Amino acid sequence: MHEFLNDQIDVIASFCQNRVIPKRIRWNERDYDISNVNLVHTAREGQKRIFYFSVSDNTNYFKLKLDPEYLEWHLVELYN
Amino acid sequence: MSRIIIHIDMNSYFASVEQQANPFLRGKPIGITGKHQERSVIATASIEAKKLGVKTAMSTWEAKRICPSMILYPGDPEKYSYITCQFNSIFNEYTDCVEQFSIDECFLDVSKTATDYLEAIVLAQIIRERIKETCGEQITCSIGIAPNKLMAKLCSEQVKPNGITTVNQQNILKFLDTCKLKDLCGIGTKIENRLNALGINTFEQLRKFSLEKLVNEFKSYGYWLYEAAHGRDDSPVINTYEEPKSIGHSYTLSENTDNKKEMKYCLLGLSDRVAGRLRKECLVARCVHVVVRYADFNEMTQQQKFTEPTSNGLTLFKIAWQMIDQWLDESKPVRLLGISATTLSRGNEHQSLFKKERKVHSLQKTLDEIQNRYGSNAWTRASLIDVHFKERSSGFHSPNSPSTM
Ligand SMILES: [Mg+2]
Repeated sequence: MHEFLNDQIDVIASFCQNRVIPKRIRWNERDYDISNVNLVHTAREGQKRIFYFSVSDNTNYFKLKLDPEYLEWHLVELYN
Repeated sequence: MSRIIIHIDMNSYFASVEQQANPFLRGKPIGITGKHQERSVIATASIEAKKLGVKTAMSTWEAKRICPSMILYPGDPEKYSYITCQFNSIFNEYTDCVEQFSIDECFLDVSKTATDYLEAIVLAQIIRERIKETCGEQITCSIGIAPNKLMAKLCSEQVKPNGITTVNQQNILKFLDTCKLKDLCGIGTKIENRLNALGINTFEQLRKFSLEKLVNEFKSYGYWLYEAAHGRDDSPVINTYEEPKSIGHSYTLSENTDNKKEMKYCLLGLSDRVAGRLRKECLVARCVHVVVRYADFNEMTQQQKFTEPTSNGLTLFKIAWQMIDQWLDESKPVRLLGISATTLSRGNEHQSLFKKERKVHSLQKTLDEIQNRYGSNAWTRASLIDVHFKERSSGFHSPNSPSTM
């Protein structure tokens, strides 16, 4: 199923060599360990640059959105 | 001096990007669609779907009939624009002569970088690897190498996915004679039928046909056809940014409607978007083109020229609606509305003599600044407060949408 949503989530990420790598997310009172970061892209929202991370674990695809101005993470897509 | 031109064409582009992002789509037939899946067309079919007979621009309904297991997946234009920028910047590392031909195709003039075809092939392999490293394993391309753009594009068509095909000056004719007329970029079904009617079915026959008769039949296109049949094309790889010829938006309504008010709101919303993009690019329009697609897929289009150039959404809307209102068949529900601004030129709208219009003009500037800073949803007209465009689409309906980078 492919769902579009906009839920604020908690994220554990590592910062290395100018890159942000999401490691674990907490959504709906459950933890999901990220096994792969498949694609990272950015897009403009007005003057702001928003980061999107297409990541997956063994059964789910997640698209995460990071607003670098407010350091807010959202889960915007789910596919399983 | 003979040139070496590389043409790079991404394979099943939108579908490959989605398969890169979402591993659960890999190895499966998928079709990238517009925002309302059941009312859309396939913008790109994955390599797997193509093998099962699905073609680009097929209706989703027909694609599903041919391939019931196909996964329909809504397109994400921002993602594609970003990846396009990424591989374009790779190309620019190897030559300063890069022409973006479409969102997933580029020409590179590498005459200065590569001294011969062997070097050009090595360069092509390096570029292919760089794309994989930067964008991901799933994103592959087919590459053609030839003395000109026309032949390079024909070469890249030969092996999909992931092929590199070369043809040099000596074997161009032999290569051309293995291709069908319609394989060539510039010969569509109509031209092909007209050529067939003249008894021309192969490039060899086209070469032997008299140039005079070709020009009689096709006017100046006859010269082009004659040159093309010899594998000749001296058009340069142009790396300058080309000004858009038109700026337009169209929208498939979430449900067919015969409600004029609803149509007007939709058209006004579209007009505002078109006008906003005109102003962003410092352009003004002197012609408006409208399209109405009815539920039965019949289409009505019309355009109107005007003398006072504009980049105002309300002005564009008024001209557009006046046209539509004249001939709209009210007995038939409407499926899609579209507006484009054409006959563009650089400049700002003229200052009006009237105080009220001058006020609107200066307000517009401020509103634009707000949108530039906070995004296009930062404000809307009160009349459009209930109109929500679904953003996520294949980008299919907005061919000249600017890159989001
Ligand atoms: Mg392609």
